[in-house]
Amino acid sequence: MSLAIDLLIATGLVVLAWQALVGGSLFRGIVMFIVFGLTMALAWARLGSPDLAMAEAAIGAGVTGALLMIAYWRLRALGANRPAPRSPLRARVALGVGLLSAVLVAMIGLAAVGAIGPGGEAGQALAEALPATGLGNPITGVLVIFRNLDTLLEVAVLLAAYVASRAVMGDDKAALPLPPAQDAPLVGALVAVLAPLAVLVAIYLLKAGSQLPGGAFQAGAVLAAGGVLLMLAGRLHPAPLCGVGLRIALVAGTVVFSGVGLIMLALGQPLLAIPGTWAVYLIETAMMISIGATLVLLFAGSAGLTGTPRR
Amino acid sequence: MIAEALAGLVFLPLLAACAVAVVPKRAVGVFVWSGLLPLPALLLPLTEAVWREGLVRLAVAGFASPLGIEWRVDALALVVLWLNALIAVFVGLYAARDYPPGSARGGRFWALWLLLTSAMNALLLSADLFNLFVTLELVTLAAIGLLVIDGKPAALRAAMRYLLLALLGSLFYLLGVALIYGQAGTLDLYQAGERLGPGLLPVTALVLMTMGLLVKSAIFPLHGWLPAAHGNAPGPVSAVLSAMVVKVSVYLIWRLWLWLAADWQPAWALPLLGLLGAGAILYGSVLAFLQVRLKMMVAYSTVAQLGYLMLLFPLLGPLGYSAASYHLLSHGLAKAAMFLAVSNILAVMGTDRLDRLAGADRRLPLDTLTLALAGVSILGLPPSGGFVSKWLMLQAAWAIDGWLWLAVILAGGLLAAAYLFRPLAVLCARPATAQAADDGSPPSATGLHWSGVVALLLALGALAAGLAPAPVLALLERGLPPGILP
Amino acid sequence: MSHAEVWVIAAAAVFGIGLYSLLIASHLLRQLIAIKVMGSAIFLVLVVAAGPIDGALDGLPKALVLTGIVIAISAIAFALALLVRLAEVTGSTSLEDEADDDR
Repeated sequence: MSLAIDLLIATGLVVLAWQALVGGSLFRGIVMFIVFGLTMALAWARLGSPDLAMAEAAIGAGVTGALLMIAYWRLRALGANRPAPRSPLRARVALGVGLLSAVLVAMIGLAAVGAIGPGGEAGQALAEALPATGLGNPITGVLVIFRNLDTLLEVAVLLAAYVASRAVMGDDKAALPLPPAQDAPLVGALVAVLAPLAVLVAIYLLKAGSQLPGGAFQAGAVLAAGGVLLMLAGRLHPAPLCGVGLRIALVAGTVVFSGVGLIMLALGQPLLAIPGTWAVYLIETAMMISIGATLVLLFAGSAGLTGTPRR
Repeated sequence: MIAEALAGLVFLPLLAACAVAVVPKRAVGVFVWSGLLPLPALLLPLTEAVWREGLVRLAVAGFASPLGIEWRVDALALVVLWLNALIAVFVGLYAARDYPPGSARGGRFWALWLLLTSAMNALLLSADLFNLFVTLELVTLAAIGLLVIDGKPAALRAAMRYLLLALLGSLFYLLGVALIYGQAGTLDLYQAGERLGPGLLPVTALVLMTMGLLVKSAIFPLHGWLPAAHGNAPGPVSAVLSAMVVKVSVYLIWRLWLWLAADWQPAWALPLLGLLGAGAILYGSVLAFLQVRLKMMVAYSTVAQLGYLMLLFPLLGPLGYSAASYHLLSHGLAKAAMFLAVSNILAVMGTDRLDRLAGADRRLPLDTLTLALAGVSILGLPPSGGFVSKWLMLQAAWAIDGWLWLAVILAGGLLAAAYLFRPLAVLCARPATAQAADDGSPPSATGLHWSGVVALLLALGALAAGLAPAPVLALLERGLPPGILP
Repeated sequence: MSHAEVWVIAAAAVFGIGLYSLLIASHLLRQLIAIKVMGSAIFLVLVVAAGPIDGALDGLPKALVLTGIVIAISAIAFALALLVRLAEVTGSTSLEDEADDDR
C-alpha cells in the first residue's frame, strides 16, 4: 500500500517535470513547475523528512515560483517573450541525450541503492553526537553545529546573489517594475491578517527547529512570503536606496554567525564552535532575518524597500 | 596562531564584504583594504608551518571528519593560496582606479571582489566534497556578478552562457558527491579515498565530478563559454577570472584524481585527460592567432595555457607534478599582468582591434613593456616562470618517452610565439599615415599611472619566478601526491 | 521493486527530461527551470542513495539538501535578474541569436 503511494507521487513527479519543461506555453510551464515543487515536498514527506518538505514547499516551490512569475511578467512587459525557431535535427539529438542520461542516471542510481553498506559513517556519528548538543532535530544540528561552515558560506552565497543582482542592474536602474497592486478592500483586510501571521509562523518555525522540523531557512522563507504578499498588495514598495536597517538585515546572518565563531576562537575554543543553545537561537534568528530580507529584495528587483510609494 | 591565520584567510575578506555592503560610501575604502592587504601576512605563519610539517589540518567547529568539515593545507594548496592573495591584492590595487571604493558601482564591485577572494580561499582550504560544492557556487556567483558589473551587452550574454554551464557543471559534480557519500559514508575527500576502491561506482562518481569541473574550468572541448566571458569582462575581472577562477576548478580535478582516487584512478583515463589538454593547447593557440581583437587573443591564450595543466595526467610523476603546479603559479601572474596591460591599452586607444593599434607603444610604453614581459613567461622563454615549468614538463615527457606530449609542448611554444609576436609587432609599428597615433601627443602622457606599475609588477613577478624557482619547487616536493615518489 | 528503487527511477526520468529540455528550449526562463528540476532530481538521489540508518534515512544528506535548496534559489534569483537585464539591453531571451561580439 505504502509502495503504491510512493509510486503515485514518483509518477506524478515525472509527469509534472514533463509538463513543466516540454511543450505548452511558458506561463503554463511555470505553473506546472510550482506544482512539481509541491509534489517534491510530498516526496520528502514520504521519505520521512518534514524539514525538507517544508523547505521545498516554501523555498523550492513558493519563493522560486514567485521569482519565476515576476520575471515572466517583466519579460512580457518588455515584449521579449517570443519563441525562437528550432531545428528538428537538434531536437532529435536532444531527445537522444535526454534518454541516454535518464538511463545512465537510473543505472548508476540503482547500482548505488543496491550497493548500500551498513549505513553512512557520518550519519552514525551524527546520531551519536546529537544528544550532547541539547538539540532534538539532527538537521538543525548539522546545519548550525557540526557542519556549520556549509551553512555560513551558503548565507554568503545568498548575499552574493543579491549583490550580483544589483551589479547587473547597473547605475541607471533603481528598480524593476512590479505589477500594479490589487487594491480591493478584501485584499487589504486579508493582508492585515496574513502579514503578522507570517511573522508569528516564522518565529514558531525558528523556535521549533531546535527539536522539531523547522529552522531558520523555512522561517526566513515564510517571512519572505509575507513580504512578497505586502508588496503585491501595495503595502510595501521598491525604493531606489537601501536604508541602513535593511542593509544590516542583509548581512546579519553572515556577520552574527562569523562573529560567534571568531569570538569562540579568540576564547581558545575551536573556530566556529557553538557555545550553547542560546547561540543556536541567536544565529538562526540572524539568518532568518537575512534570508527573509534578501529574498524579498530579490523579488522586488530593487535596492531597497519603503512603506510609502515614491511619487 | 595557525588557526587564527586560517580563519583570517576566509573571514577577513568575508566580513569586509559585509562591512562594504553596510557602511557609508566614504568608509568603504578602509574596509576594502583591511580585508585584502593582510592576506599575504596571514600566509607567512602558514608557509612556515607547511614547510616544517608538510601538512596543516584544522577541524572546523571542533568536529573532525566524518561528522564535521576539515581544512587541510599542503604545499599545493599553499602555492595556490599565495597566488590568490597576490592576485587579490595587486589586481585589487589596479581595480581601485576603475572602481573607486567611494562610488556607487564601487560598493558593489568591492563587495563581490571580497566575497570572491574569501570563497576561493575557503575552497583551497576545504577537504570536504560537499563544502567544496558550496564554495564553488560562491565563486561562480561572485565571479559572474563581477563580469556583468559594467553592463556591456556582450558581457551580459557571455555571463548568461557561463552561468548556465557553470550551474550544469555543479549538478554533475553534486551527482558524483551523492554517489561517493552513498558508497563511502563520509564526505571527507581523504577518508572517502581510503574507503573506496576501483569499482564501477567510485569511478563513475569520479568521472561525473570531473565532467562538471571540466565545464567550469573551460577545458577543451568544453571551453566554448570562456573567450567571450574573459574577453568582454572589465579588465581587472578578466585578470582574476583567467588567473584564478578557472584554475581553482582544475586544482579540484587534480585533488580528485591524485588524492581522492590516488589508489584507484582508472589508468586508461590519464592519457585521455592529457589529450584534452593537447587539444586545448593546439586549438586555443591557433584560435588566439586568428583573433582580430587583442583581448580576445589573450582570452584564447588562456584556453591554450589551461591545456598544460591537464598534461599533468599523462606525465604523472614528481617532475610532471612540479611542472604543472609551477605553470599554474607563473601563468596566473603573467596572464593577470597581460589582461591589465591590455585593459589599459583598450582604455587609452579606445579600441583593442589589432589593425588600429599601430604605434600604441609611443603612448603606452609601460603597458607595451608589461605585455612583452608577460609574453616572455607565457611563451616559456628564459628567464621566466613559464620557462621553468615548460622545461620541467619537457623533461618529464622525455623521461617517459612521451613523444606525443613532447611534440605538443614544443608546438604550443611555437604557436604562442606566433600569436604573441603579432600584437607586439603591431603595437611597435610606425603608423603608415602621418595623422595617426603620432599626432604630437606627448609620449607616455597617460602611460605612467600606478595602475600600469601594478601590471608591470605582476609581469616582473612572473619573470622572477624563473630566477628563483628553487624554494617553491622544494616546497612542492615535500607535498607530492600519495603514490608519487621523489 | 523497493521504495528506494521507485525514487531513483523517478529521479533519473526527471533528470533526463530536464537535460532534454535544457537542450531544446530556446527561452532562457525554460532552461533555468530545467536546471532547477534537474537539481531536485539529484537531491532525491543524494538522500535515497545514502541508505537507511536504524530504519530511518540518514539525517546528514537531508541537511545537505536543505543547504542545496537555498543555494539553488540564490543561483536562480541571480540568473533571473541577469535574464531580465539581458532582455532589456538586447531584446532577446535566448542565447541562440548570438550577435557578433566584436566591438
